[in-house]
Amino acid sequence: MSQISIARPAPIAFPSRFKPLAVNLNLRAYFLLAPSLVFLVAFTYWPVLQVLWQALHQQDSGHTVFVGLANFTAIFADSAFRNALVNNLIYAVATVVPSLILALGFAITLQQSSWVNGLLRSLIFAPVLVPLIAVSSLFLFIFLPGIGLLDHYLAMLGLAGANWVGDPDIALYSIVGLTIWKNAGYYMLFFLAGLQAIPAEAGEIAMIEGASHWQRLRYVTLPYLHNSLAFVLVIALLNVVTQVDHIFVLTKGGPSESTNLLLFYVYQQAVEHYDIGKASAATVVSLVFLLGLSAVSLRRMEQSAEAQT
Amino acid sequence: MSNRLLSMSALAVAACLTTFGAAQAATNIEMFFPVPVDGQLARDMGTLVKKFNDTHPDIVVTPVFTGSYDDTLIKTNAATKAGKPPAAVIMSANFLTDLVIEGQIQPFDDLIKASGKTDDEFMGQFFKALHPNAVINGNVYGVPFQNSTPLLYYNKEQFKEAGLDPEHPPKTWQELIVAAQKLTKRDGERVTRWGITMPSSYDYCGWLLEALTMSNGGRWFNEDYGGEVYYNAPSTLGAVTFWSDLANKFKVHPTGEQKAPGVSTAFLAGQTAMMVLSTGSLTHVRKNAKFPFGVAFVPSNVRNAVPIGGASLVQPKGLDAEKRKAGWTLITWLTAPEQSGWWSRATGYFAPNKGAYALPDMKEFLAKNPEAKIALEQLEYAKPWFATYKTLAVRKAIEDQMQAVLSGKVEPKQAVETAQKNADEIMRPYVERTALKLPAMN
Amino acid sequence: MSRRRFDLDDLWPRFGRVAVIAAAVLWTVPFIWMIVSAFRPSDQGAAAMASLIPDYRPTLDNFREAWADANFPLYYLNTTIMVAGILAVQIVTMSLAAYAFARVKFPGRTVFFYLFLAQLMLVPIALLVPNLATVARLGLYDTLLGVMAPYFATAFGTFLMRQAFRTIPTELEEAAVLDGARWWHLIRYIYLPLSKPALIAFAIVSVSAHWNEFLWPLMVINSPDNRPLTVGLAMFTMGAEGAQAWGVNAAGTFLVIAPLLICFALFQRRFINSFVTSGLK
Repeated sequence: MSQISIARPAPIAFPSRFKPLAVNLNLRAYFLLAPSLVFLVAFTYWPVLQVLWQALHQQDSGHTVFVGLANFTAIFADSAFRNALVNNLIYAVATVVPSLILALGFAITLQQSSWVNGLLRSLIFAPVLVPLIAVSSLFLFIFLPGIGLLDHYLAMLGLAGANWVGDPDIALYSIVGLTIWKNAGYYMLFFLAGLQAIPAEAGEIAMIEGASHWQRLRYVTLPYLHNSLAFVLVIALLNVVTQVDHIFVLTKGGPSESTNLLLFYVYQQAVEHYDIGKASAATVVSLVFLLGLSAVSLRRMEQSAEAQT
Repeated sequence: MSNRLLSMSALAVAACLTTFGAAQAATNIEMFFPVPVDGQLARDMGTLVKKFNDTHPDIVVTPVFTGSYDDTLIKTNAATKAGKPPAAVIMSANFLTDLVIEGQIQPFDDLIKASGKTDDEFMGQFFKALHPNAVINGNVYGVPFQNSTPLLYYNKEQFKEAGLDPEHPPKTWQELIVAAQKLTKRDGERVTRWGITMPSSYDYCGWLLEALTMSNGGRWFNEDYGGEVYYNAPSTLGAVTFWSDLANKFKVHPTGEQKAPGVSTAFLAGQTAMMVLSTGSLTHVRKNAKFPFGVAFVPSNVRNAVPIGGASLVQPKGLDAEKRKAGWTLITWLTAPEQSGWWSRATGYFAPNKGAYALPDMKEFLAKNPEAKIALEQLEYAKPWFATYKTLAVRKAIEDQMQAVLSGKVEPKQAVETAQKNADEIMRPYVERTALKLPAMN
Repeated sequence: MSRRRFDLDDLWPRFGRVAVIAAAVLWTVPFIWMIVSAFRPSDQGAAAMASLIPDYRPTLDNFREAWADANFPLYYLNTTIMVAGILAVQIVTMSLAAYAFARVKFPGRTVFFYLFLAQLMLVPIALLVPNLATVARLGLYDTLLGVMAPYFATAFGTFLMRQAFRTIPTELEEAAVLDGARWWHLIRYIYLPLSKPALIAFAIVSVSAHWNEFLWPLMVINSPDNRPLTVGLAMFTMGAEGAQAWGVNAAGTFLVIAPLLICFALFQRRFINSFVTSGLK
């Protein structure tokens, strides 16, 4: 038990509680990490190393040549890649912000448990249960020009419809609409959970002090939801970069590249162009993009957690 | 105790060995297939494979549904790289040139030779137009399985209503515009029925534009060399302009990109009086149309010509000899006249094997379904499907432009120039190491 | 409190409520269409396809067709095994790792932590080919285990649990150690129960991610017997030659989501309440 503590005598004033925790379990830490590490090595680090290696090489009729950063300069010179990057940014902002606001609104309005609220929650949550691949074919019909659900009812109201996913000017926003529909209920759930943690007294005190609904929202509810907000932000950001099934089924990045996103660009390079070098370089860039996004939000999450303890 | 354990494990090993021995009698192989229309066809494929397994006791085929044509390509490449190549894949026929250049599939020549035939004799059973997409650099890489051409579908009822003769569909571009104008119905600003709709989503867009270019006398690409396309040729410009005019000038065709499922749905709902779609959709349209419909050749401007479409059976590299042979048995069986004809009747694709049309079942079917006969007659004018180095990217170069033209964002002239420039850029590495690799002077 | 101000203030929640009800109705429209068209007979034609009001005698033909095309109960089972299996293993790996990161000081802790986080950025498509090769080498090709294996370690889960573990007072642990508890007792009886909200939040993320997954299972699975729901559904949703059987498609989707939706409606209240722990926070 104490071999390690003998080897490294603790200072006299050291608080006793650090002894069993910090020193004794030292070796055990690696043992605790081992199960995760085995899978991470096999399915993350090893393939990522391959990707990095490929990003620096070019496959040319069976030969592999080291090309340094040529793949990176190639993708940045590729207007399709820059276009995908811009599209992804627009898509990220246009889906995350409204989804979060809607989800928050839903959660606050439906926080009291009653059967009506239960029903409404279920209705709003329902899209989460439909696999994205089925959502896409459902919306393929909804978006059909002329005959689809949207245009059919717009025509009844005497409004001209649109070619929702066939017009390069609006296709990306139609995809945004689909994504908000699919995800708002998902995020609502986390906010509902966060709201449960607000002590009832907090709201009551504010009420007695004559705070308006807005003031209560601003000064009582939102500060408590800080944690949930940070959490939802992280998953929402990860979603906008890593989930592209609907692009696969609905638009394939078209028309005229208007709905091409980073991950779909990677797919095109790897599968359609047989260009593993460029695909890997684009992967590395999207990795950095994601790393940046999630580092910021994870740090926020960490800070808000620390602020609470 | 330990003795008992020992004898038990010995028993278990013995049991394993026996089952292994039994299983070895039959070769287990997999066939990847994309699903062409709906679940029904996946079931038909199951029926077909079951019939094969019943008649070939030494081979067990598992039919593996692999999503769309694109998904099938990814899955085949991934499985091959992972050391698990399937013994047969139904692969979109225009991927073949690319797969050969990238070294992903292997030729069948040795297997054909072993069966006592020459390549020409073997390919001779299939329609001539299918050869260029299957025989690459003199080797047979694909065996045609389900093939199609674009076809003009029209609603006979609406033809009558518009004062057109339902037995004489438009033959030329001129006639097409006249008919489409009569067929288009407006309610104020809103169009309630379009004269004609052609799908312009990726894949379909390039295929139909190739059809229009060919019927405008053009070639679209160099059939003998994978590094050349003729996007800025007058014949292509004419085709792009014609499609653009239908939408933007005559306003008888909806603007913006049209997705193929949307086009067939609009046709079935009577919201477009004519459409151009694959012969592979024939069965679906026949089953679902609530009105008499007719089919006709794709209207032409200079000559009758359409590209081939559809899929061939291929074998990836890396198969062991036994599985390769079993896969070959399956491939030849599936493409034999009887099966070829059966699948054709189930789907609407034409049967690539000419022998299928000599069978009584097929004769009877054609007599009952005259539209299937028209699809067959058009084959006489069929030409190879567009296939180059990096086919999909090169095709997309013009599709992106065509979609922009249909949305009124780019003029046809500028579109074909941009498309040509982008396509040349994509093919440059290949051109540089082939056509432009010239003998050096010392 | 003046009378006027009270009225205005009271109006906001009501307005919010009306807006939410309107949104909920809007949210439901695609489902209504799905249900209406799943029961629509095919001889109805395509003319009124977009109608949300059934104007026909309902038929079960589409369901019959969908049921015959795909073995839904089996696919359901496969997806359930897959999703539950991933989650079960994840809970083990992530709570062990999280405990190490939260409570054990060891050389390289920060480095390891960032190494873990790298997995968050995993872009699945790029890793498809190398991962499939690994799965095949392990003999897991065409098995559900092969679909699950790459997800057994989770950076996101580890991060969440580490955060939750750090909020638990060390005094609890010390007391347990004095009573002779070993480290696995600590994790099992102190850390995990006290981190229930984080655990549930993670479970939702994990389950919904793998429930939706299509491309990776499509790569790994060959045998029809191992197919998950998404791959089975794709048989209806992918029309390659421009034809789409909308009714059958709707019926298939309906069959997939109905059981889950009923479960959620019945248990959502308990489910949301389960986020709230006793005592802490």
